[in-house]
Amino acid sequence: MTRKQRVLGWLVILFPFVVFFISLSVGVVRIPLGDVFKALLSPVFPAMKEGLPENVLGIVLGVRLPRLLLAFLAGAGLSVSGASLQALSRNPLVNEYILGISSGAAFGASLSIVIFRQSFPPQVSAFLFAVVAVVIVLAISRKSDSPIVSLLLTGIIVSAFFSALLSLVEFFASPYALQGLFYWLMGNLGWPGWGALSISLPLMAAGTAGLILMRWRMNVLSMSDEEARALGVNLGREKLIVVILATLVTSAVTSVAGIIGWVGLIVPHLVRMMAGVDNRRVVPLSAALGAGYLILADDLARGLAASFEIPVGIFTSLIGIPFFILLLRKSKRIWL
Amino acid sequence: MRSFASLWMTLRRALVLAFISGAFFAATAPSVASSPAQAGPSPALTVKDDLGRTVAVPAAVKRIVSLQAEITRLVVALGAGGELAGIDYTMRRHDHLFKYIYPDEARLPVVSMAENNVNLETLVSLKPDIIFASPFEKQIVEAIQRKTKIPVVALASLGDTAKLADELKLVGRILARERRAEELAAYFSGGLGRVRDRLKDVPAGRKPRVYMSFWGSLTRTPIRYDPVAIAGGLNLAEKAVPDVLGSAGTTVNVERIIAWNPDVILVHGNYLPAERTVTVEGILGDSRFASLKAVKSRKVRYTFGFWNWWDMAEVLLETEYLAALFYPERFPAFDLGRRCDEIHKMFYGLDGGFAKLSAALGCDEWTHD
Repeated sequence: MTRKQRVLGWLVILFPFVVFFISLSVGVVRIPLGDVFKALLSPVFPAMKEGLPENVLGIVLGVRLPRLLLAFLAGAGLSVSGASLQALSRNPLVNEYILGISSGAAFGASLSIVIFRQSFPPQVSAFLFAVVAVVIVLAISRKSDSPIVSLLLTGIIVSAFFSALLSLVEFFASPYALQGLFYWLMGNLGWPGWGALSISLPLMAAGTAGLILMRWRMNVLSMSDEEARALGVNLGREKLIVVILATLVTSAVTSVAGIIGWVGLIVPHLVRMMAGVDNRRVVPLSAALGAGYLILADDLARGLAASFEIPVGIFTSLIGIPFFILLLRKSKRIWL
Repeated sequence: MRSFASLWMTLRRALVLAFISGAFFAATAPSVASSPAQAGPSPALTVKDDLGRTVAVPAAVKRIVSLQAEITRLVVALGAGGELAGIDYTMRRHDHLFKYIYPDEARLPVVSMAENNVNLETLVSLKPDIIFASPFEKQIVEAIQRKTKIPVVALASLGDTAKLADELKLVGRILARERRAEELAAYFSGGLGRVRDRLKDVPAGRKPRVYMSFWGSLTRTPIRYDPVAIAGGLNLAEKAVPDVLGSAGTTVNVERIIAWNPDVILVHGNYLPAERTVTVEGILGDSRFASLKAVKSRKVRYTFGFWNWWDMAEVLLETEYLAALFYPERFPAFDLGRRCDEIHKMFYGLDGGFAKLSAALGCDEWTHD
């Protein structure tokens, strides 16, 4: 690793934390960083509340903090999932949605929003159907002679199947439920409060941490199967663990924030361009860059217009795709 | 690969949503003129509908199919419910009061599914003289008329309650019930006029600032809501998006709601209690909103006026209710239960309207302080 790469790596690691803190002061209501600092410390030091405007505590602790934590962990989790699955499949176009996770989660959430309503929370339903989709993909693809190709093809098929089921639910949805469903599917970080996040954030954190801990194994998994076996790796078990962790992260994100596309594809590519292809660096740096990227995209989503909010999923696609095309044209190669 | 699909799905949904929202307010006012007959041997009316189409309708309408919930209710209010030959999916599934307003509704076959998907074979088999349709999409309306050879009139006030009285008169004329239409239009306009009169001297700076949580979402809000405006309230989201976009509503963030610090929060209540994803109790108990004036004064209430269409009786009732909520000192004698009964009796001949509304939607919260 060159000195330049090392410095760049540390900057990338610092990036989401700096953006996180600055973003706490960004929003409809202008809150100076000093007040943000006091509000953050006020649960531990109640004296800090003195002099703060009445709504600042509610905005910083009740609105911005959970939203930014969600953006941080969702961005990190989606990027790490994408990087891990790309390494696993040795395919640069694979991302966390290719295994049908997103379609399964979207269908599950739509069932909850449109049909079951209050009786079955969308978070739980999304998670269950994401797991169902991945189990189907794994069950069908594992007996193939070419497991990776089979995994990808089965993922596309299962994804299409759940997309069709989603369309069916949309077809029968009431006009009220349809509006909610449309916005949920566009991706939005602003809806869940602490209650919903108390389940989802630990799942995202656990899955992301698990994938980061497995980063060195991904170098082995990205070799040919023969080479990996020669190194004594239990391929089936290791790949299954990676897929399960990626499913855990993606379904936890999708269940509370809807479908946020392109993060898991673009961020790992950017990291590989900067830091090379060693997954020991790619995976943690993807986490850091993905966290910062989604926080910035969400800052735009909530700050671009004072009186309305554009779903962040639109921004991640609108920003990410042209940027990605530019980078591909410039680099003229696929990094993996 | 999935991301390309994801992008397409996102764009497709954005377009569909824009269409749904845009169609809500996009239509023009209907008009009517007597003209020589074009359909059948009897003299006909020539009607200009909300899509700007000129439609010749038969003079004697005996069988009606309504694919537009707003018009179905008007037909019943005009006393022509017995002439309904079929209703639409939305009415059957989502109008929780229709069974009280028109007890024979169970006999009516449903001729459409969600998203304006009409079963043409069922439609033709019912042999209607006229079809009332939603002006949401011109191609669908014209396709139905072309394929069935039955006149299709696309009507709906699309958010503009000022058009409701004209729409009622037009439907009354098509159904040869002009006197009943005039009577109801006068009752409706008179009721709204009395509210306006009592509030005409309220200075703009004293109007309560209102946020509305609609469509089952805390952050989705209508940018136009006539009952609030007529009742002397200020819809905080009124100018949230440019008029040229034609949107019915917009999405704000929670922080925006806190920054607005509304005096009153209205929650869309036209859901069965079990289906409500946003509730008055939920907002009152949400720590993020503890500092809001509306929460401190407990002026967080359900609203029932807007379904996915406007109903004249509910618009009038809600306008009076909101006026009394915003300005209790100017409407000291307002009695929600009594007015609910009176208005539903006038429009639908319904006795005990308030008790039935309360039972259907669990809306006794209306009377909470």
